[in-house]
Amino acid sequence: MVFARSTFVALAAAAALAACSQSAPPEKTAAAASADLNAPSQLVMRRLTGEQYKNVMTDVFGPTIDFGGRFEPDMRTDGLLAIGSSHIGVTAAGMEQYDAMSRTIARQIVDPAHRDMMLSCKPKDVKAADDACVRQIIDEVGLLLYRRPLTDAERDAFVTAARLATDKTQDFYTGLSLSLASMMSSPKFLFRAETATPVRGKAGEYQLDAYSTASRLSFFLWNSGPDATLMQAAAKGELSSPRGIAKQVDRMLASPRVESGVRAFFVDFLGFDEFENVTKDTALFPKFSTQAASDAQEQTLRTIIDVVLTNKGDYRDIFTTRKTFLTKELGAIYQVPVVSYLPNGSPDAWQPYEFSADDNRAGIMTHMSFTALHSPSGRGSAVLRGKAVREVLLCQKVPAPPGDVNFDLINDTTNYRTARDRLAAHTREPMCAGCHKITDPMGLALENFDAAGAWRTTEGGVTLDTSGAVDGKTFTGPADLGKVLASMPAATSCVANRMLGYALGRAPDRAQISSLEKSFATAGYRIPALMRLIATSESFTRVKPEAAPTQTASVPAHATN
Amino acid sequence: MPSFKKTAAIAALLTSVSALIPGAAFAAESKSFVVGWFSHATNNTDDDCGPGGPNPTVQDQYIKDLKDLGMSGEEIEALIKERDANEEGPNRFAEIIRTRGRVDGKPVNPYMYPSTVKDPEWKQLVGDKAYGFDLDNKGPDQPGSFTNVDTKQKGIDHKLYRALGCSRPFRGSLEGRPTYWDWLWGQLKDSQPAWIVTITGEDLSKDGEVTITFDRALEFLSSNVDGTPRADVTYRIDPDPRSHNEMKGKIENGVVTGSMNGMFRMFQNPLGMPEFRLHDAKFDFKIRRDGTADGFIGGYQPWADLYFAFASGGQAIEQCIVGDIPGLYYLLKKNADAFPDAKTGVNSAISAAYYMEAVPAFAVPAADARYNRVAGN
Repeated sequence: MVFARSTFVALAAAAALAACSQSAPPEKTAAAASADLNAPSQLVMRRLTGEQYKNVMTDVFGPTIDFGGRFEPDMRTDGLLAIGSSHIGVTAAGMEQYDAMSRTIARQIVDPAHRDMMLSCKPKDVKAADDACVRQIIDEVGLLLYRRPLTDAERDAFVTAARLATDKTQDFYTGLSLSLASMMSSPKFLFRAETATPVRGKAGEYQLDAYSTASRLSFFLWNSGPDATLMQAAAKGELSSPRGIAKQVDRMLASPRVESGVRAFFVDFLGFDEFENVTKDTALFPKFSTQAASDAQEQTLRTIIDVVLTNKGDYRDIFTTRKTFLTKELGAIYQVPVVSYLPNGSPDAWQPYEFSADDNRAGIMTHMSFTALHSPSGRGSAVLRGKAVREVLLCQKVPAPPGDVNFDLINDTTNYRTARDRLAAHTREPMCAGCHKITDPMGLALENFDAAGAWRTTEGGVTLDTSGAVDGKTFTGPADLGKVLASMPAATSCVANRMLGYALGRAPDRAQISSLEKSFATAGYRIPALMRLIATSESFTRVKPEAAPTQTASVPAHATN
Repeated sequence: MPSFKKTAAIAALLTSVSALIPGAAFAAESKSFVVGWFSHATNNTDDDCGPGGPNPTVQDQYIKDLKDLGMSGEEIEALIKERDANEEGPNRFAEIIRTRGRVDGKPVNPYMYPSTVKDPEWKQLVGDKAYGFDLDNKGPDQPGSFTNVDTKQKGIDHKLYRALGCSRPFRGSLEGRPTYWDWLWGQLKDSQPAWIVTITGEDLSKDGEVTITFDRALEFLSSNVDGTPRADVTYRIDPDPRSHNEMKGKIENGVVTGSMNGMFRMFQNPLGMPEFRLHDAKFDFKIRRDGTADGFIGGYQPWADLYFAFASGGQAIEQCIVGDIPGLYYLLKKNADAFPDAKTGVNSAISAAYYMEAVPAFAVPAADARYNRVAGN
């Protein structure tokens, strides 16, 4: 079965790419009329990510649930999987996985070891149907999985299915598990379909209904479904007012669960999903392992969380901080002592670590998660790393190389010992020079890190020169590059841009970003403040009808069966 | 959230390693290495066992052993056929072999009591080049001594090499690892405590006096994805003083040499012995430009330690890896060249040189409150 994309979702038209110039142009976003953070956004229907699926299940049924399946790959659009999630469906093979997982989970919920804890009622007779008990369970679970109260028709269908299955199997719990599994593999759970309602007193204007608002808030701030308090607020109509929303946003931002939301955003923002495809030549980089790759991502996430949440710091500090967290595995790669005090053979323990002031590791660009992720398997790549700085951290689009480009000089390590020499030779070609001026200076600053993220001072026996200049600002090496990046307005506008897109499920327009960027600056570039600005903005809840490709604009009514 | 005091804490830990080293209190620099390969030093060539080559395989030796027990060729052939027809189950062949020792005509375990088996008179090495040290300082005229492969120094005492040099599992070179050691290392490196060598001196980039310590770690050796030892891993030093060894020495052109009087001891070592011991050890260790190091440690080794490391595996190890175990007993006993027993006059130790390769490591003391809390000791 394949679920068609929502007809009320229109793909943003791709902007034409500008040719490379001295300075990379900002990435073009979806064209839209002039708007700011009060402008309505669009209704979207997003597929739950694998992490969101797990988070919801864990919230509802507890941490002991074993999922026993795999999720379909996500798709990156406009720099984010969160935006791509509204452009993807489910393949037949993916549906089989969802079905298998839902049956696996449902079996665990009703098994004797879990049922007393997870289910709120017991049947009068385990060999007979008990509609009242099933109805109670279905209502409770359905509210959390569908993120809204079930309709009568939905509830009746699940109760009937459970009864028929119980009659056939003479087992109440088998019948119940069938209905639960059915609910868990329903598109109403797997997709976050948003619905709109007219704004009272404003003809032609729409806003998310209360439960859609609750979902948007919860997945944005916590990367999971709404909790009971948020659902109660939705039921009471409190989410239809800015004041009611702000109250919930403040509550959610004060919760420890916000770390999950911030982590999810930065995993998406930094493209850590690409680590699934990262391999290194083991003959050249024998320290690189799947554990090291996993630890590298966690290192950066812990560092970011420490800066932006624990210490409530300035976002820009992530480019310069020397404070981080390491495991023994990473200590071996970074060539610093990291002691594990767990029994021998235990998983590595995380230890806080601060690189010294004269160390060239400072900021997330010098982390293995950045340098190794943006390198081929056999060598580092100044071009890929420079491109990643531009595209990932500054939201500036770097055009792909022309199809007929000659890579001979780039691969000539005999006559050109360092990447700087090779790129200098390569960029004598005018057709190459434009784009390389954008990528290479920053990429060359990271040449001190090999393809697996380990420190090096030479290449081909030649001492590396990692100094340079970008946008008129000079730097002496990788740590200094972080300072330059932190001073670039594009760095903060980029994270604001991406976070707004992440929250809305659509690439924001320029006016929205501009407005948000000013408020972000006023808030001292604090990430929780940015999240609050977005979550309490009218753009977050106001929606507009959008012209479907072949039909006139329409806003769907509340979801039907 | 823990506070960021890691740099200072690590510095303190590293500094306190020096506290383990008497005389190193004023040392300005330490370099630690984790041993990533250890075996007796070999330098075998095709012709170093004389005519006929190395000693027979264990299967050929078994046939000789059976003949020594008085069995006829037909009986032996029938026994082998019976064994081959029943490879998975118990068989008389195995039973006879593992009880082939004789005391008053009664069968006994030949591994525990190797002298109850007739000496198979295995060959020993006839070559004259080896790695190692002039342990007795008697110079070039000592019979049976070797010439150093690299330095050409004469009078090298390495009777262990002479004893084992013609037994197939122990033949090899520094590059071509002997089968026995390679197998054993592979079996144990991921579970036995790693060995840590620390060189401490005023300035290790210059020639000068150094202190060399050998310690056991609380962790086993960390390996790379390709199985090679992983560099730059942090190990905690086992506070048990029984595995702490210290030598005085010097560094000259990047080569560290040292020696100690008394017994060098490492408990639960990676070579299958409950304790690795060397009398009056000497050390020669080259620090390479890539940060790795390799070299030798030599001394007089109580040969019973080594024999029982071989013998403790019984017939399974004899048949699969080591070869004829009583044969090794006689070779070790005949080549033992030091520390005679006061009563019997039999030498209890054999001159030996071991080769090691090491990669850089961080060594910190284990005496830390956090560790104690977790480990409960």
